[in-house]
Amino acid sequence: MIQVQNLSKSFQNIDAVNDISFTIEKGEIFGFLGPNGAGKSTTLHMMSALLKSDTGTIHIEGKNSHENAEAYKHLIGVVPQEISLYEDLSAYNNLIFWGKLYRIPPRKLKDSIHTTLELIGLLDRKDDLIKTYSGGMKRRINIAAALLHNPKVLLMDEPTVGIDPQSRNHIFEVIETLNAQGMTIVYTTHYMEEVERLCDRIAIIDSGKIIAQGTQSQLKELVQTKENIQFEFHSLSETHVTQLRQLLPYTMTHTKNKLLVESTVNELSTIITASNKLQLQIKDIHLNKVNLEAIFLSLTGKQLRD
Amino acid sequence: MILTILKKDLRLYFSDKKGIVITFLLPIIMITLFAFAFGGVVKKKSAPKPISVLVVDKDVTTASQALITKLNAIPAIDLIPTEEEEALTLVRKGKNTAVLLFGKGFSEAVATDTKLPIELKYDAARDLQMQIIHSILKEGFNYHLGKGDVINTVTINTTSVIKEASTKAHPGLVQAVGGTAIMMLLFSIAAIGGGLLDEKEAGTLKRLLIAPVKPFDILLSKMGTAMVVSILQLTAMFVFAWLAFGLPIFMDIVTLLLLIFCISFAVSSFGVFLVSTVKTRQQLQGMSTLIIILMSAIGGSMIPISMMPAFMQNIAVISVNYWGIEGFFDIFWRQLPLLEILPKMGILLAIGLGMTLISSLLFKKNIIAIE
Repeated sequence: MIQVQNLSKSFQNIDAVNDISFTIEKGEIFGFLGPNGAGKSTTLHMMSALLKSDTGTIHIEGKNSHENAEAYKHLIGVVPQEISLYEDLSAYNNLIFWGKLYRIPPRKLKDSIHTTLELIGLLDRKDDLIKTYSGGMKRRINIAAALLHNPKVLLMDEPTVGIDPQSRNHIFEVIETLNAQGMTIVYTTHYMEEVERLCDRIAIIDSGKIIAQGTQSQLKELVQTKENIQFEFHSLSETHVTQLRQLLPYTMTHTKNKLLVESTVNELSTIITASNKLQLQIKDIHLNKVNLEAIFLSLTGKQLRD
Repeated sequence: MILTILKKDLRLYFSDKKGIVITFLLPIIMITLFAFAFGGVVKKKSAPKPISVLVVDKDVTTASQALITKLNAIPAIDLIPTEEEEALTLVRKGKNTAVLLFGKGFSEAVATDTKLPIELKYDAARDLQMQIIHSILKEGFNYHLGKGDVINTVTINTTSVIKEASTKAHPGLVQAVGGTAIMMLLFSIAAIGGGLLDEKEAGTLKRLLIAPVKPFDILLSKMGTAMVVSILQLTAMFVFAWLAFGLPIFMDIVTLLLLIFCISFAVSSFGVFLVSTVKTRQQLQGMSTLIIILMSAIGGSMIPISMMPAFMQNIAVISVNYWGIEGFFDIFWRQLPLLEILPKMGILLAIGLGMTLISSLLFKKNIIAIE
């Protein structure tokens, strides 16, 4: 559905995006994960036909972002990082305005606004001025404005920046609903939790380059670090460790009263049963998952929020 | 503690280029302009440029010709021989301030020492300049005819070529309403144009560019908004002048509306041009204050053009204010037909068109450049 090939863009000799290629299938939620300044927004700006690439091509359903700009722009809905709304207009009047730019017939536009406001849960507040909305509500209207012309692809640039967890969850639910209806979604963020929850496939981007892409499990295979569980006991002797090694088939290392077991959360109950059998009193359990943060760290040597 | 805060404030103040421009450069420019306008700047070794005065000799005698030659030798004036009809038309159209007429029987009157048939016909819209001309000529006549004492002095009849009537506006009122209205309009339009920068900062411009809308259409729509506001503002100003001061706006309402349209187009394109040259609201504020005040000063909104020295009157033609104010004088004072005001309207439209074309180029570079 989306083919991006050898895309590059530089600003004053700084490579914001450096020769990236990827494809996105219809109905996928594709995430761009990377720290600030990694090139996520520049990539999305080029995909939004806002910015011309220096080299490379972008095609959505065979349409080029610049050669067939008009048709291309009707295929995409864009949720900018900023709350791009008129504060002194009501939500309804904002949506009427943005919808008209896509030449949606009046009757159809009204229906579309009703459906979209219902989807984002703000139908009852439609006549309130945007400036009276909370940050989370504004973000939801920001999304609604991108949906009115029923795009096939939704490009979302960090759509949850600066909002509370409840509003964030609401937005996730909206995204999941849209995706369930068949919409393809491209999502940029520097929050790994968002990508982990939402995305089918992920591209990890840093310094303008895609350093890895695939499903979460494919990405996890790229790194040496294994998932492990750390136990802290009230007391742990060498004998206990030896006995545990006899009972359990996992690699274990221990320091004082702490035991690190290389296993997944699925084996947690087995380990607890073995500990009980040896009458070991568990003080604390900590699960060290191999998450995207760890993968990013492993691939770049940097934290996501650096 | 006070010194610490003071130092910090000064550091912040001098880091603000706009503030420096407003504080120092703008007053310097204004002082320079007003100094030239009020004649405060005269080089010791160079005489000011003479004032042109048309002269019609209906007597055509040796005495009249000789006196014209002598008067023309006065450095402050430049007498230009012209046919009477043409001279009166030029003054009526505001091209020249006055025409000096030597009537038949001039040489006879000189010889018999009776009242001289001389008359100065002038444009009352340039009252101040007329008074200077009158004073210079009177002194010249007295000197060359050997008169000048309290009892025996030459009298020059003065007549305005445009008769004042109850249906006609006073030139001072036209100057006040026209000049002020255009200057204030420039400020309003710069503020409206600034909305484009607000949209850029708020992100709505980005969303407009994402939508299937051409960048030039965005520019034109902003200009359209500015034009509507301009037309409304200018119309309101003239309605107010009619209600409060009796300015006869219905004297030639079609021409007035056409002129308002042309001025609005020029001013709106100027507003969009201003916005296209800058990248932030702060830059716009500094730039617009400087350019608008400068343009209004040289264009006749602050000081009547006729009060300015010749070189400044020549510079005035680059400003929208000048053509607008002259247009209002043509309608309300000179009462010229539409056909004769059309060239001024054409110039305003040309200024507007030129500004729009330049703006469209700068708009891409400064406003819609997304990084």
